[in-house]
Amino acid sequence: MGQKTIISTKNLVKTYKDNGVEAKAVRGIDLEISSGEFTAVVGPSGSGKTTFLNLISGLDTPTEGTVHINNRLISEMKGKELSDFRRDNIGFVFQSYNLIPVLTVEENIEYIMLLQGVSKSERHDRVLQILDEVGLKGMESRRPTQLSGGQQQRVAIARAMVSNPALILADEPTANLDSEMGSDLLEMMKKLNESSGMTFLFSTHDEMIMGRAKRLITLKDGLVKSDETR
Amino acid sequence: MMFYLKLAWRNILRNKRRTIIASIAIGVGLASMIVTDGIMIGMKNNLVDSATSTLLGEAQIHRKDFRFTQDVEKTIIKKEPLIKALKKDNSVEKFSERVLSLGMITSPSTAESVIVYGIDPESDKFLSKIDDVIKEGTYFEEGSGREVVIGSRLADVLEVSLGDRIVITVAQAFGGDLSQEMFLVGGIYNFNVKEMDNGMVFIRKEKAQKMLNVGSEIHEIAVKFRGLRMSENKKLPFWNKFGSEENEAVSWTIIMPELKNMLDMTDISLIIMGGILFFVVIFGIINSLFMSLYERMFEFGILKAVGTRPGGLRKLIIFEAGWLAVISNIIGIILGLIISLLLVKYGIDYSGIEIAGAYMDKIFPVMNFIQYIKYPVFVLIFTIIVGFYPAFVAGRMKVADALRKSM
Repeated sequence: MGQKTIISTKNLVKTYKDNGVEAKAVRGIDLEISSGEFTAVVGPSGSGKTTFLNLISGLDTPTEGTVHINNRLISEMKGKELSDFRRDNIGFVFQSYNLIPVLTVEENIEYIMLLQGVSKSERHDRVLQILDEVGLKGMESRRPTQLSGGQQQRVAIARAMVSNPALILADEPTANLDSEMGSDLLEMMKKLNESSGMTFLFSTHDEMIMGRAKRLITLKDGLVKSDETR
Repeated sequence: MMFYLKLAWRNILRNKRRTIIASIAIGVGLASMIVTDGIMIGMKNNLVDSATSTLLGEAQIHRKDFRFTQDVEKTIIKKEPLIKALKKDNSVEKFSERVLSLGMITSPSTAESVIVYGIDPESDKFLSKIDDVIKEGTYFEEGSGREVVIGSRLADVLEVSLGDRIVITVAQAFGGDLSQEMFLVGGIYNFNVKEMDNGMVFIRKEKAQKMLNVGSEIHEIAVKFRGLRMSENKKLPFWNKFGSEENEAVSWTIIMPELKNMLDMTDISLIIMGGILFFVVIFGIINSLFMSLYERMFEFGILKAVGTRPGGLRKLIIFEAGWLAVISNIIGIILGLIISLLLVKYGIDYSGIEIAGAYMDKIFPVMNFIQYIKYPVFVLIFTIIVGFYPAFVAGRMKVADALRKSM
């Protein structure tokens, strides 16, 4: 494709110890994902999808191997450096209930910009702009509990994208939505991917996402079973 | 900063029931401290007032050794210049000259040993409460010099009543000859304190001086300062000015050391009790903060995942602790104020109870502004300090663990 590599993992291994018993969730994954991809990581429960996403986002540390995001070795980062890197480079969309319930839609979305030190007026303008893009114009004062599941996920996507990160990681983003809402959401993300050029990486069981992903990485027992680009 | 303050406030209000229960628990602890402090001050004042204003005075001047020997020959040295100086001293509000002796009081029925006080009724009014507790008769109004004021229990023992004749016998100074005088019972007082109602008689100072053959000399000057706290001030110039090689000027804290020690112990008790209360409060806060923390692990995971630094989370938890303290302080202050006002209005009846030689009366808590500042500030500081522990836990939390239930 000629695009630069945004995610690169080398011999990625994660072993958990539970009551003295070792369990290898990821057994040595070598992967490269390019900028602008719309990729789904699929596999049965226990295949290591979540662990893989945690490792590449720096939410968890690998037992062995390395993770580079934008040529930065994040598997060695810690504390403030790692927090700041995530804040500026990775957007997260979780399954559901991932908004802070005591904050309004606007406050939820602007939170990352607040951490980045963006001015109040700029934050406000960007929130309004992104809400327009995700189809929630005029809902900035609402609390998450006043929104439907689909609307909440749109807010989560807006929050993930508002600071223009290079990478959006989405963990089962449609899992708690009905098929119509899920389809709408997916369509929106696809459009945002195409318009913004941001890299989207999903972990999913959703066949709809699998069908629309440009690249499908299948994990089994902590290893890449197949890697199919369409 | 403002964002975290706002978020912390909203988080505190998220589970209102828990916040209110925790705040009431902390507030009750705070109110207990405020009220107890007021009661302790009230009790202390009551005891000191009882000890000093009943008869003792806030300070006394004697010839050295007189307190221990009660030797009638040991009169105050250089009385005249001392009295002049007392009149000019800024710290002294009132004083009264007294003559003291052990003696015997005899009625047609029986005889009893007593302490004979020769007093100047006018000046002693301000140093003692005898005139306030006259049950029958008058307080030296007759003017003949032959009247004696005795306690109600002593009157019962002697089987005398107003106007009856009694004889007082004392040993004179310089020779020890016995001196007897007949008196008429002019007043009967009742302090409701056995030792005082049974063991003391009061006659005019001049009469006592004559009986004891001490001329115009005196044994004791009881002093009342312009402020009660002056009597506890060891640096007050009064002590050196009126204490000399021959005379001693001593505070009630020295005359009644057991009372002073007891009051010091109440201060320590208050600190210990306060410590225990704060200990209980601290665990209440830790429990509340941790419950809130574990309940929102996923949320903290999200905050951390999106780039909140560990310090940001710590700040958030500490602000939540701070808000909890603010709410608790409001509850505690209101509760403390209500209880204190009720107690100030109705008092706590400790009448007749003796502590370290002083007799308590109805206790009224003393309310002061500092109680409503000092203890709430303690609660705020302690709560924030205690908040560091859950804040530290939140800061160290692994994001993946916090999010595990989802990702």
